[in-house]
Amino acid sequence: MKKFFSLGLVKGLVYQIIWTAIGAAFVTLIRWILVSRFGFEMKLFAFDRNNVFFTEPAWVVGGVFGVIAFMVGVGAVNDWVKWALGLETPAHPQDEPGWRGYFGPSVDHKVIGIQYTLTSLLLMSIGGAFALVFRTELTRSGLQFLDPNLYNTLMSLHGILMIVSILLGIAGAMNYLVPLLVGAPDMAFPRLNSFSFWIAVPAAVLLLSSLALGGFDTGWTGYPPLSVRAPLGMQMFFLGVFVAGWSSILGALNLIATVLRMRARGMTAFRMPIFVWTAMATSLISLTATQLIGLSFQLVMFERLLGMGFFNPAQGGNPILFQHLFWFYSHPAVYVFVLPGLGIISELLPVFVRKPLFGYKWVAMSSFGIALVGFLVWAHHMFASGMNEYLRVPFMYSTLLVAVPTGVKFFSWVATLWQGKIRTPTPMLFILAGIFVFLLGGLTGPPNATVSTDLHLHDTYFIVGHFHDTMFGGYIFPFFAAIYYWFPKATGRRLNETLGKLHFWLMTPAFIVLSLWMMRVGLLGMRRRIADYDAAMGFDLSHLIMTIAAYVIALSVLIFFVNLIISIRKGREATGNLWQSRSPEWQVPSPMPAHNYPEPIEIVGRPYDYGLEGSVYVKVGK
Amino acid sequence: MQHANKSSVLNLGLTVFLFLVVLTGLEFFIAAVVGSALLLTLTALLKAGMVLYFYMHSNHLLTDETDIERDSYLYILGTNRLGLWLFLLSDSFVFGGLMVARFNLLGPTRPELNQILGLAVTAVLLVSSFFMNRAEVSMEYGDRKGFLIGTSATLLLGFLFLAGVVGVEWRLAMHEGLTPSSGVAGAIFYMMTGMHAFHVLTGVFFLAIILSNGLRGKYTAERHWGVEAAAVYWHFVDVVWIFFYPALYLIGSAG
Repeated sequence: MKKFFSLGLVKGLVYQIIWTAIGAAFVTLIRWILVSRFGFEMKLFAFDRNNVFFTEPAWVVGGVFGVIAFMVGVGAVNDWVKWALGLETPAHPQDEPGWRGYFGPSVDHKVIGIQYTLTSLLLMSIGGAFALVFRTELTRSGLQFLDPNLYNTLMSLHGILMIVSILLGIAGAMNYLVPLLVGAPDMAFPRLNSFSFWIAVPAAVLLLSSLALGGFDTGWTGYPPLSVRAPLGMQMFFLGVFVAGWSSILGALNLIATVLRMRARGMTAFRMPIFVWTAMATSLISLTATQLIGLSFQLVMFERLLGMGFFNPAQGGNPILFQHLFWFYSHPAVYVFVLPGLGIISELLPVFVRKPLFGYKWVAMSSFGIALVGFLVWAHHMFASGMNEYLRVPFMYSTLLVAVPTGVKFFSWVATLWQGKIRTPTPMLFILAGIFVFLLGGLTGPPNATVSTDLHLHDTYFIVGHFHDTMFGGYIFPFFAAIYYWFPKATGRRLNETLGKLHFWLMTPAFIVLSLWMMRVGLLGMRRRIADYDAAMGFDLSHLIMTIAAYVIALSVLIFFVNLIISIRKGREATGNLWQSRSPEWQVPSPMPAHNYPEPIEIVGRPYDYGLEGSVYVKVGK
Repeated sequence: MQHANKSSVLNLGLTVFLFLVVLTGLEFFIAAVVGSALLLTLTALLKAGMVLYFYMHSNHLLTDETDIERDSYLYILGTNRLGLWLFLLSDSFVFGGLMVARFNLLGPTRPELNQILGLAVTAVLLVSSFFMNRAEVSMEYGDRKGFLIGTSATLLLGFLFLAGVVGVEWRLAMHEGLTPSSGVAGAIFYMMTGMHAFHVLTGVFFLAIILSNGLRGKYTAERHWGVEAAAVYWHFVDVVWIFFYPALYLIGSAG
């Protein structure tokens, strides 16, 4: 029992709960003094939309206390505190041995990568379960078992949990892979790396706590004025996203420093793997733009707490300003989600086709092209919002421009596949499906980017289908491909192929049916984000099909988890270069030891020259 | 920098400071007489450029380090510098967002504020940057006493700035009826000054940490990354105020 409570994670959670209560009690005490001594009129305790026992300010301050306490409890700030006090710390901290190391503040980038990935899978499951609940509710017209507020809360939490889970998933992949791919012993700032991971955990707790604290009904976008009036859960949502944003920002900072400073000898910019290029592009967006979603959410938090009328027209505020600040992050964020996935596609495709990646330089630069253009398109989410009309057309064209660098990637993939010796183990299947589904998502983009059609499609299920296609094609499929591909690197065993193929052949058709039907009902007029629809619209059958498809996807992911658990213990051993890759991490036995390569590696050629006789990419060892 | 002699480096810091003082005076003059937002912006950019180059040593980022051992202190120092600058880049987007909010919501107007007090707190922050530079240069030349004096002065001026903004300016504004909920001008004023004051407060914490470690002799001429980081951060907070001061006090018409 004592051993259980000494785990960093458990200790952190206990600290978070206790200090949230202490913080809230502290604010209540101050309010009590203000009331009893100075005659202020304010509530101490109450039960209504914005006060679940404690008042709203008490909960917010308690939430902040709780996050700090979690970080202290888990031990992620120990070394920094020691440095501030002028104490020395060991240069290479040791993890606790065995599985316990995964529950504490490890500084090994591979452990942190796996921590990120597992947390991401957990949040994805929770978010997916929420989707199943409200998908079940939508099977028939009429309200079955959810009341509208709970429906809205689940729908909103599904959105934000999936987003946080994707952010953690790409952080996991980048953390695990980038130091290996560039030949570094670890990330540039190992302690900051640990901090970036652990701060995402209290953020997830805050997000989930909104369920118990009245929920919120705005969707993940949190637009005021609705979010100013929403129940208390709204504040926990804002605070949770704000804290999760720090995870993203600091992780990106670390990654950029790692790539710029710790590449192996001989690894010039145009010898870097494509995944490293995409990770850099993604990190530049996360590093800078994330601050603006944090700011916009903070402004609403203060509007709720102190009556600061940033977005309240009655006080001279402007609700459209929120949307500009919010989308300045939240649109580039979708490139944060998909760029690493597209990088994985480009990384794996040549391995399974045994041909050089077509147009390497163009593919490398296209990621930065997407990132840069991505900064200039945010207002295409606001065509129907009442913003200045002259902004519409420029944003329409900048949005359509994204198709150019994305098209470069597609041409490269198709040309790489052309006349290749294609092998199709599970990772390659997921890559191929990823390309196809992302194409669906890409082709349904221009109708949304074009003002005249968007005014009709805005806020319909067509949009829902479009972005699920981009997220699945750009993230989910490549992410699963990456897990099937690099699982042997991490564990020395490989995932079961039969179960893997079952996972694939259940998930892919089910997902394609789901997203196409979403677009179908959307075109016919089904609004998004609503708990119910009129039976006379004739959508019942379509929704039944979508619900069944959703359950098939859930079943396939369940099979994946079973595969994970079985294979980690009994999977076939695979310690060598399982996929005949040229990448440095596969030239040494799996699993990798701490601090990676025993000898510094040297890059002597181009990364993707598969099938070219006598070409060498990397020299490992002497 | 290591090759130059110490007093010439200190004199450079002083010259930069005097330029900044003159430019700040010029800003006040421009606002009172010409009222040109363009001129004010250009002056602020000039000031910020001077601080970035001379006080924050932005050119250190461009040092060629290809021949340095990866495990050496010098190489890790370079990585630390890059990390800090990336953080500042990220942080500047918060302040940039606040500037966007200010110009979107208030346009060519500004809140009615006490001009003398605004100039006074700006001067306090400017002088604190001067002492911060002295403290850092002193440490670079192994002059511990100069470092301790400079850091203590910066710390005190930092407190004075906080007292001036949060203690006096906020109270005066509330007295005049400019409260967080009185309207969007009040909201912007408290949000911008509050966010900046929060950063000053964290800077004060860093200064307290390097002061206590410096008192115990933890820094040397060769190894004082903590001092450099605190100094660069402090100057960054100053750069933010270089833009916030005209945005809140000088540009546009009051009321």
